[in-house]
Amino acid sequence: MADRRANVKWNGDLMSGSGTIDDVGSGAFGPLDVSWPARSEDVSGGKTSPEELIAAAHASCFAMAFANGLAKAGTPPEQLRTSANVTFVPGTGITKIALTVEGRVPGLAEDAFVAAAEDAKQNCPVSQALAGVGEITLDARLAS
Amino acid sequence: MPRIERSAQVSWEGNLARGTGHVSADTGAFAELPFSLPSRIGNPEGKTSPEELLAASHACCLGMSVAGELSGAGSPPEVLSLTARVIMDEVEGKGHQVVASEVDVHGRVPGIDAAEFERIVAVADAGCPFSSLIRASASVTVRAHLDS
Repeated sequence: MADRRANVKWNGDLMSGSGTIDDVGSGAFGPLDVSWPARSEDVSGGKTSPEELIAAAHASCFAMAFANGLAKAGTPPEQLRTSANVTFVPGTGITKIALTVEGRVPGLAEDAFVAAAEDAKQNCPVSQALAGVGEITLDARLAS
Repeated sequence: MPRIERSAQVSWEGNLARGTGHVSADTGAFAELPFSLPSRIGNPEGKTSPEELLAASHACCLGMSVAGELSGAGSPPEVLSLTARVIMDEVEGKGHQVVASEVDVHGRVPGIDAAEFERIVAVADAGCPFSSLIRASASVTVRAHLDS
């Protein structure tokens, strides 16, 4: 069992207040500033947001699941580059996550690569946790 | 309605057991944070993990929801302190799953009592996009503590 923790502080009201991710259990990052305007407008001002953190969680989890699937099939990747793009509609919620992956995998054909990527997208723990998102897409390409 | 997009990039080298990844935020708020399987399921050794990023997301998201509900009720908080814990466990037949997210919300809020704070935190939890999403697949527990 893995238990992971984060501490956040918020000062003031929603619109004009601001918050900080003070620290996380691993010590890997923080403090990071957050605010409602930075979250809900196109211009982030360099601030992270719950949606960006979900994107980071999903892209990293998907990469691990995909690496695992490829290695189990006897074709471990040299490198995978993944990204997650999370769409947030204030008042509605998170409506879409678009995953992309480009991989360098010796000895693997394109269709097997795409099938393994699809399997990782379906089964990685973060995909399972976010199964309530209406639309999760995948664009998988084998690097030449 | 505006559509806001946020993205992150990951590079991963090698197989799962011995490989390493790095995750970066497109806003630039964090970059090249290392992660690996041993540090994801065992001692973190200074490395983040998908579950830790989810915990940070949940604490931020719920914090903003609570601040918004309190403001709407005419009692904006002086300060809220939130701790979120995301728990991943092995579930028979399903492998590793996120099974729970637990958030403690401490607040210093002038002019309301503990019962009202608890009620407003529950409303905020119901409206928090992260709580709503994760509740479909895992247990979500939110505890409210009004500091005097």
